[in-house]
Amino acid sequence: MATISFDLVSPENLIFNDDVGTIIVPGKDGDLGVLPGHSQVMSSLRPGRVMVYSEDKNLVKSFFVSGGFAEINPEKCIVLAESVVELNSLDKSSIEKEIEELGSKESKESEEQLSIAKAKLEAITVSFYDKI
Amino acid sequence: MPSLKDIKTQINSVGSTKKITSAMKMVAASKLRRSQEKAEAARPYSSRLEEMLSSLASSAASGEGIIKLLTGTDNDQNYIVVPVSADRGLCGGFNSSINRETFKLVKSLEGNGKKVQLMPVGKKSRDFFNRVMKDQIIESFVDLNVSSTGYASALNISNKLQELYFEGKFDKCILVFNKFKSAISQEVTQQQLIPLDVSNSEKEEEKENSSNAIYDYEPDEETILQDLLPKNVSIQIFKVLLESDAGEQGARMAAMDNATRNAGEMIDSLTLKYNRTRQAFITKELIEIISGAESI
Repeated sequence: MATISFDLVSPENLIFNDDVGTIIVPGKDGDLGVLPGHSQVMSSLRPGRVMVYSEDKNLVKSFFVSGGFAEINPEKCIVLAESVVELNSLDKSSIEKEIEELGSKESKESEEQLSIAKAKLEAITVSFYDKI
Repeated sequence: MPSLKDIKTQINSVGSTKKITSAMKMVAASKLRRSQEKAEAARPYSSRLEEMLSSLASSAASGEGIIKLLTGTDNDQNYIVVPVSADRGLCGGFNSSINRETFKLVKSLEGNGKKVQLMPVGKKSRDFFNRVMKDQIIESFVDLNVSSTGYASALNISNKLQELYFEGKFDKCILVFNKFKSAISQEVTQQQLIPLDVSNSEKEEEKENSSNAIYDYEPDEETILQDLLPKNVSIQIFKVLLESDAGEQGARMAAMDNATRNAGEMIDSLTLKYNRTRQAFITKELIEIISGAESI
């Protein structure tokens, strides 16, 4: 099976750059599964999980992104994300605390952060896509 | 004629100054390397973003709301100028050239009947414009430490700018900053941030590529643009902050290198003077002894 080159870029650095088998990105209108030869798509992203699989469909890495953009063409997939964390470095209790704190504030900004934090929590609790 | 002791103290004090400047030079050199790496690491993101934007820009017809960041307001009466300087001095002409250039720009805009406001970034330009154009400053940002706080510092500035823009406080925003050319040279550069200047997207080659490519857009072009434009403002500011940071370290390194060299020269000439004076003393004493002996 062919591979597709995948770049995960944050403003501060290049986080991931390798040839992989499949990537799942959280598009604004729904998750996109990207395989080699995907048609050309440009999509904005919602907060959620970016999952990276090897050619034989084993999960290689999983990240949480707080939004951003994906540019996909048959040979390459580029994800530009504003903040990226590796999923297994997230800690459930600290996120719950964050949600609690943000919930008490009332401003547009904290609302946005709240929705990101909630997505974060969801991202570490759910387990679909762990195997494809 | 100064006594031997005076010259000695002078040599010592220049010597300790030299030690300080050479230490500062070395600190700046290592910081420069770090800032350069940071600037390097930020490049893939901003270049990708620019590519995306240039392929999307044509689809924005005219606009309401966020699209205004691209198309501009119909006015060009109110300007906001953002000089980006360092927080600290002792880096040669780095800060003063920014301040001078900004001052000239403001004066020339005002000469054309525009209204100009200022939003200095960095202590040195804030202090300068606090003295000369205090009532035109609407906001200032100091102690950013972009190399340690990273993207968040740029986000602050960009949020403030966009807030002001959508309140209709200004029509055009111009950044004045030191572009990092090499470790020893910086170039004062003006960049129009809002409305976005897409005509200067550099690489012709990539333009061709992107025009060949027909993309599907999800959800649609306009929604993506609405997400993309504010991010682009932040990332441009971030890039400028990183460049300016690297430039500052470079300028400081060069300035301190000069200072160290000058101190070395000064020590040489003072040592020469010290030795001459000492020789003169010895000769004088000898003459006194000899003439005393002769007279007996």
